[in-house]
Amino acid sequence: MHIPDGFLDAYWVAITYAATLGYYAYLSASGRLRLDTMRVSLITTLAAAIFAAQMLNWPIPGGTSLHLLGGALAGILLGPAYGSLTLALVLIVQALVFHDGGLTTLGANILNMGIIAVLTGYYTFKYTMKLMGTPSSKSLFITGLLAGWASVFLAGVACGVEIGLSPRFPYGVEITLPVMGGWHFALGIVEGVITGLVLSYIYKRDPSIIEALRTLGV
Amino acid sequence: MPGRKAWMVIILLVIVSPIFGVILADRIGYHEPLDVAAEKLGLSEKDVGYHTPFEDYTFPGLGPVPGYIAAGLLGVIVILVIGKLLELAVSKK
Repeated sequence: MHIPDGFLDAYWVAITYAATLGYYAYLSASGRLRLDTMRVSLITTLAAAIFAAQMLNWPIPGGTSLHLLGGALAGILLGPAYGSLTLALVLIVQALVFHDGGLTTLGANILNMGIIAVLTGYYTFKYTMKLMGTPSSKSLFITGLLAGWASVFLAGVACGVEIGLSPRFPYGVEITLPVMGGWHFALGIVEGVITGLVLSYIYKRDPSIIEALRTLGV
Repeated sequence: MPGRKAWMVIILLVIVSPIFGVILADRIGYHEPLDVAAEKLGLSEKDVGYHTPFEDYTFPGLGPVPGYIAAGLLGVIVILVIGKLLELAVSKK
């Protein structure tokens, strides 16, 4: 889902950079990013784990692949603000060191995978967990599955809208939205399964480290 | 506090990653989905004048498989260094 350089025109580059920088400025100004050494250590470890997991892209015939995006997982484990910071760290390193995702499109890539995916995953998890009642490793798997799926689907939809509305891309949003949305509707299932399995495992080992559960008071 | 075990798992992920990211990808003809779309549409990635020696998870002087592992380890180290610098900055506050 990393948009390369050249897919977005200057107008969309500016909008997506402004939205992304504005979001992190808001997080910082509202006191949602209070960093201490423990928190930084968690963010660093999760960022490295997501970076490494993203390198395991399982190719499937037809030119696409299945791999973890990690937005929902980061949001659920660390909360939406620190989850977004974790994904931003991963995406910045990928773009600057490996040129995976463009520099002009870094704002859009962070917006899609670091903000939209993280917020969607976090809130889907939180509200479905409320409906499920008492947490168990089974309910963590189901809510993780839904959160992971929804996060990738919505991030894919956002990506489709951005490239579709950008005049540089030859097809309009009426084509890119259903294509990207449909594609990520299916790819999201894999994200959901991985997110669900990881959350279920962590819940069995140490539920106290799942921030989204703490905010629910369970 | 994330411990040694977490970092062992991360290193293990990087070591096995070429099985998927290089070997199977070559066999199946995988490219990043948006690159495939660009190729079909005749779009090319715009050269914005930014180049890195580790472009697309390669490592200078190394073949695809060891290069992919070295690039993965480099990425993990860069994240770790940024994290340590940030830890240092917040501990001085």
